[in-house]
Amino acid sequence: MLQLAPTATAAEPAANGAVSARPQSVVVTLPADCRMAAQAHLLQELLAALDACAIDLDGRAVERVDTAALQLLTLFKREADARGAALNWMGASVALDEAADLLGLAKTLKLPAAVPA
Amino acid sequence: MASVGVAQFHQVFFEESLEGLDAMESSLLALDEGGDSELVNTIFRAAHSIKGGSATFGFPEMAAFTHEAESLLDELRDGRRAIDGAIVELLLRTVDCLRGMFARAQSGQPLNNAEAESLREQMAAALGRQIEPKAPPSRRAGDHADAWRIDFRPHPGMLAGGNDPLRLFRELAALGELRVQPVLDRLPPLAALQPAECHLGWVLELRGQVPPDQISRDQIAAVFDWVEDECELTIAPLHVVADTPVPAVAAVPAGKPPAAAAVHSAESGSVRVSIDKIDGLIDLVGELVITQSMLDQFREEFDVAKLALLQQGLTQLARHTRELQESVMGVRMLPIGSVFNRFPRLVRDLTQKLGKQVKLELVGEQTELDKTVLEKIGDPLVHLVRNAIDHGLEMPDRRRAAGKSDTGALRLEAFHRGGNIVVEVSDDGAGLNREAIVAKALQRGLIASGDQLSDEQVAELIFQPGFSTAAVATDLSGRGVGMDVVRRNVSDLGGAVAIRSRPGHGTVFTITLPLTLAIIDGLTAAVGSEHYIVPLVSIIESVQARPEAVHRVTGGGELFRFRDEYLPVLRLHQLFGCAGAQAVIEEGLLIVVEGDGARAALLVDGLIGQQQAVVKSLEANYRRVGGISGATILADGSVALIVDVAGLIRLQSRSKAA
Amino acid sequence: MARILAVDDSVSMRGMVAFTLRGAGHEVTEAEDGQLALDAARGSTFDLVLADVNMPVMDGIAMVRELRAMAQYQGVPILMLTTESHTDKKMEGKAAGATGWLVKPFDPDQLLATVKRVLG
Repeated sequence: MLQLAPTATAAEPAANGAVSARPQSVVVTLPADCRMAAQAHLLQELLAALDACAIDLDGRAVERVDTAALQLLTLFKREADARGAALNWMGASVALDEAADLLGLAKTLKLPAAVPA
Repeated sequence: MASVGVAQFHQVFFEESLEGLDAMESSLLALDEGGDSELVNTIFRAAHSIKGGSATFGFPEMAAFTHEAESLLDELRDGRRAIDGAIVELLLRTVDCLRGMFARAQSGQPLNNAEAESLREQMAAALGRQIEPKAPPSRRAGDHADAWRIDFRPHPGMLAGGNDPLRLFRELAALGELRVQPVLDRLPPLAALQPAECHLGWVLELRGQVPPDQISRDQIAAVFDWVEDECELTIAPLHVVADTPVPAVAAVPAGKPPAAAAVHSAESGSVRVSIDKIDGLIDLVGELVITQSMLDQFREEFDVAKLALLQQGLTQLARHTRELQESVMGVRMLPIGSVFNRFPRLVRDLTQKLGKQVKLELVGEQTELDKTVLEKIGDPLVHLVRNAIDHGLEMPDRRRAAGKSDTGALRLEAFHRGGNIVVEVSDDGAGLNREAIVAKALQRGLIASGDQLSDEQVAELIFQPGFSTAAVATDLSGRGVGMDVVRRNVSDLGGAVAIRSRPGHGTVFTITLPLTLAIIDGLTAAVGSEHYIVPLVSIIESVQARPEAVHRVTGGGELFRFRDEYLPVLRLHQLFGCAGAQAVIEEGLLIVVEGDGARAALLVDGLIGQQQAVVKSLEANYRRVGGISGATILADGSVALIVDVAGLIRLQSRSKAA
Repeated sequence: MARILAVDDSVSMRGMVAFTLRGAGHEVTEAEDGQLALDAARGSTFDLVLADVNMPVMDGIAMVRELRAMAQYQGVPILMLTTESHTDKKMEGKAAGATGWLVKPFDPDQLLATVKRVLG
């Protein structure tokens, strides 16, 4: 689910073992089921993505989400901001939007209005 | 309780509760003999399930009653109360009382009666309190406000426990207008995050939708009911309104609507069948279908070359049919344990009353019997067990004097033998008192004073009608209470009772029962152009009579000398009016039979073979006929009558007496 | 709708619960004690578990503890079906990781309301 955007191909591939230069941009797609069981994996992806200069988050596929997921995203947003990475939402599902709203986190996360799927 | 759907579970609830009561009873009895604490748990679980179920399925009286028992058991369970004879006795009576309640529930009668009330009071007294009249849920109304501030800080573990603030906030939002402000002061670094742990907090503001619309503190607290131990929570009014008394909340009916009426009052006469048995049946039917389709190909074209295949198919068909028949019969079969289970209690009560010591042993509880047989074998067994304790087993001092242990042994055992089920009731008591029986029989005119009787014949006497009544039986150290009734009950089931006794060593009653009432094993005999089936269980031997073995006696009777006995000859052709039958005894065949302890020789033309006969009731299809227990359809489609041996002998001796 | 695991040793209670939930369109798996419930839970994921407290073999409280130790049951709502109105069983269940409880007796409407409450 972690994919390097085309701009990142200019950077040295990680395969040669050398520490690669900071990728230009990276996309993280949130899974349909974002609940607790999926979060250990999601956390690793998000941590890996923090190296990029620009991070695109795709929340359009999210169907099920819990408070822990939104806490994770809130922490990720704070961390990305602290590192100066540009965090951009490619979109958010209604489920994600509603949950963030209810928990008062929509503003913190700078979530866009939901695009009905 | 509205839903019709739920009513379908009433019957299941009754059945499992009765099973639960059986388990309670046997565990209580074991506890009485010093069982372990796991027994208390078993008893508690059963009571607990009955309480929960009865409340759920609309029997509040039963729930309230069981609640008292459960409280007692709870105290036993955590050792606050010692287990003693008195408490076991009280709980046993509770079990009985609940059985009564279930019986009344099933027939739609009121559940409570004086006995239940009194027991409930006794339990309450044992618990050291009065019965609490069901206190109305007097929830403190709490204060009201048109707006609230809620400070909510979950503990880290709350999310993993399944309580998600999303749910809580959704519920709050249903009460009014909700504003949510997250508190992000305790967030860890992302790399250190355990996603399941909660580090967020919130400050919430909740306002009634329209200004006069107020929200109570309790309404809010109710939303947080599951998490009060998993968070820090403060609920404070934003604009305090006067503490107005709330109009009686108690007006909300606390109880449930009256118990749903339509409990089926008639007993359903159903059988609970294990899934394994049903799966077995389905498999067999599957095989049958395969065989059938294999045989089907011969209908299209038949070729002699395929003869072997056809034979193979028919063999398979025969095997599957037989297996299917056995399995279908198996559906009616239930373990005898359900009958045995009532005995520990019976034995305990009886021995306590009589001051005897008896150890009961149950063997072969898994042995399966036809449901109908099972339902009817209980009473004869109770009779035998009562007798064994009352008359067979001695008082401790007499046992000691006889060099036996103080505690008598009583054993109930069920097992298969041949095509039959055998149930034995044995004790190590005094055995039959020959002198007392002979004296009694003389007095009753059952025997003449000069008669030389074998031990076997003496034992047979106790089965004679009129041999004894309860009044004389207590004078006798032998047995005798209604043994004729026992024998008749068993013989109605197509079975037989025998007795073996050794003075000073004990007595064994052996009940032999057919596996099922629906099928009998019998010999098919020809009488003229008719066929009769004689049940195998009644047959001792069939013999070709030699002329010197048959004696004619005055009055027209005929006796056949069989070993040392003279047996009356019953000419079936005469009794049933069959034309063209063999009338000369030496030319025909004599079948020596036994029924109700009496023997006779049946004259038939000859034997055709042995077969299993599916019993069709003559009574249901025609009318009751003396000496005939039913009919069956033979392979060629003709009907054969099944001989009721005991009935036939009775018939004969009555006509002789007349 | 949701996938629900209903655990109760009482056939009638379990039957009533399963019947009611199926009627509301849920997919219900039944188990008659805690051990069998764990077996079912290992092979599948459920959105909600409803469990009796007093059961033979493995009681509801031990079952909750075991379930919560499994990664895929973190955060999954588990409700105890309990007759105890006194708090100790509720608290024991909570301490083991239960989400909440539903006090017996309950009727189908109360059951559905509670399930709706947890599943949102």
